[in-house]
Amino acid sequence: MSLGEARFRGFTWRPLGRRNPVVAGLDLTIEPGERVLLVGPSGAGKSTLLYGLAGALGTTIAGELSGSAEVDGRLGLLLQNPADAIVAERMGRDVAFGPENAAMPRDEIWPRVDQALESVGLTYGRDHFSAALSGGEQQRLALAGVLAMRPDILLLDEPTSMLDSDTSASVRDSILTAADGRTLLVVEHRIGAWLKHVDRVVVLSADGEVVSDGTVQAFLDGPPPAGVWMPGMATPAPLDVPADLVRPLEEALSITAADVSVELVTRTLRGTQRTQALTGLTASIDPGTTTAFTGPSGAGKSTALAVLGGLLKPGSGSVTPELRRWKSARLAEAVGWVPQNPEHGFLTTTVGDEVRRTGHRLGRPVDVEQVLEVFGLARFATSNPYRLSGGEQRRLALAAALAHRPGVVLLDEPTVGQDPSTWSAVVGWIRAARSAGATVALSTHDADLPIDVEYLMRDGVVA
Amino acid sequence: MRSVVLRINPLVQLSVGLFSLLGSFWIRSLPVALIALGAYAVAGLLLLPGWRYPLACLGFTAIAAVTIVYSTWRLGGHDVEEAFTAGLRIVVLAGPGSIMAGYVDPSRFADYLAQTLHLPARLIAAFAAALQKFTGFGLAWQQLERVRRVRGFGPSRNPLANGRYAANMSFALLVQALRGASATSIAMDARGFATAHDRTWAEPAPWTVLDRLALVGAAVLGCAPIVARLGGA
Repeated sequence: MSLGEARFRGFTWRPLGRRNPVVAGLDLTIEPGERVLLVGPSGAGKSTLLYGLAGALGTTIAGELSGSAEVDGRLGLLLQNPADAIVAERMGRDVAFGPENAAMPRDEIWPRVDQALESVGLTYGRDHFSAALSGGEQQRLALAGVLAMRPDILLLDEPTSMLDSDTSASVRDSILTAADGRTLLVVEHRIGAWLKHVDRVVVLSADGEVVSDGTVQAFLDGPPPAGVWMPGMATPAPLDVPADLVRPLEEALSITAADVSVELVTRTLRGTQRTQALTGLTASIDPGTTTAFTGPSGAGKSTALAVLGGLLKPGSGSVTPELRRWKSARLAEAVGWVPQNPEHGFLTTTVGDEVRRTGHRLGRPVDVEQVLEVFGLARFATSNPYRLSGGEQRRLALAAALAHRPGVVLLDEPTVGQDPSTWSAVVGWIRAARSAGATVALSTHDADLPIDVEYLMRDGVVA
Repeated sequence: MRSVVLRINPLVQLSVGLFSLLGSFWIRSLPVALIALGAYAVAGLLLLPGWRYPLACLGFTAIAAVTIVYSTWRLGGHDVEEAFTAGLRIVVLAGPGSIMAGYVDPSRFADYLAQTLHLPARLIAAFAAALQKFTGFGLAWQQLERVRRVRGFGPSRNPLANGRYAANMSFALLVQALRGASATSIAMDARGFATAHDRTWAEPAPWTVLDRLALVGAAVLGCAPIVARLGGA
């Protein structure tokens, strides 16, 4: 092999607890310096290939591996869940981790760290707590950690999925600058902006097989593959979700926030980081309306949802009704909330139980089979939620939070990691809930999501 | 003055615990135990930046101390003084170290372990990455708590149910920690850790005048029981 080459030979991977392999008998070679875009439907095994090259399969991740996945050169991998990539308490040391591993002298490390942080637009300074960053900011921190290494091969799993379009564009430029002359393998669902920067597009089918592999032009000229966001394609029609699955079982609430400010505090014995997440937010969400909180990462979108849903105490201002004082069961009857990290939302050990759980607790009927069918998860009913792909986990978290038909539906980045067909299911659910009278509020960067009211936020303030 | 504990290097911070442990072996009578404990209490009141965390640590140490007091009293001929001496010895042995451990910055600790004590670099880097996870646990706990509350499984007023809730939350956090650890180890390897045999460190590990003075101070505190005993207490 030559420096910067990546190669799969007869690569087969079956995760523990899954009957069929996610990827079977894959042969693929990526030449040094090539820029490759890896696309395919949710659950096709795209992340699996990156994990394979990183040497994690069969060692850190349990399952059955055969064939080989090899790379020659220094690897830089960006994971889908950026919080897991944090290795140091403060931003500067986190980014320095790669250069330290490369035995770089101290006087070279810090200029690189500063340059990497600047290139992803993180301007808080080296001593900012890594844990105090928002989801999108953590994604950028993880990327800075990869870029600072100047690896021979960059493996990036949805590097801009949690970013708004402006930040995405600048982060993409930084990636492309860093990848100059190096091998780049990017997994992304929204591929339009990447196509003009890559040499080759590899398309995986839902069964993990390579269905197309060639130049960008050949990819664009060929038949549109299933489960891929083709550039210029019309926004998929939302799935027709039966109203019986989403109709609120009690009257939906109007919730109003008046002049709400929230300071998020990350406290350790060695110091405290205060982040002004919201300043004077006045907003209301109403029945039969989809309200979106949009804006760059760190703008306070997730905090706004949590405050409205009674999950976070405002520092000042008021929220009416004051859901924060409601008992857990009463709150669950009224509100469904989908967290940004889907793994935080799981309470049980099977997908079916997960969807059933809240309804069972509240004595509300849930048609588990049909809900799983809508979200394309029916074949995983007995699987462990942790064994699903990132996109599948997000859909499950949504189903689990909303299957009991609450009147208020709060969703934190619901369409991240979805292919056109699963996007259509998620958006279909949201639209059906709204049409059935639910109060829907979400935080999103997705410009295709149909919304009625938008609060564009920046630095904790409605812009 | 109260920021001294945060400014000294992590090895000096932990030396307080080491000296207290060594000194505790000289505690054989109640007056010596009280003098040693008093010395640490005065130092704590003057130098610690807050009081809640040290009190929580002392609370946990007190649980161990109470069991020792009881068992010594029960098995040692119902000698109250002997029992209390044994209990206070445990507080002096474990208290200062457990309190100081909380003030250790994982990255700085790794810098000193690797550059001052020359321990194996990979082991230390992995250790520091694991230690810093504790900062993230607070946020993960908050998210898990929110999900449980909004799905109808939040805490209630029933103490029995609350016990179950706490157990569930702890287990969920354990699952998160284990899954996060796997993902972090992948991310670390993918940032060159797997092949980092000759690692460098982004920050130096200097010994300042304050560090040296604090080390002497820690040794003096550790010697309090010895001095008290030699002085006839």
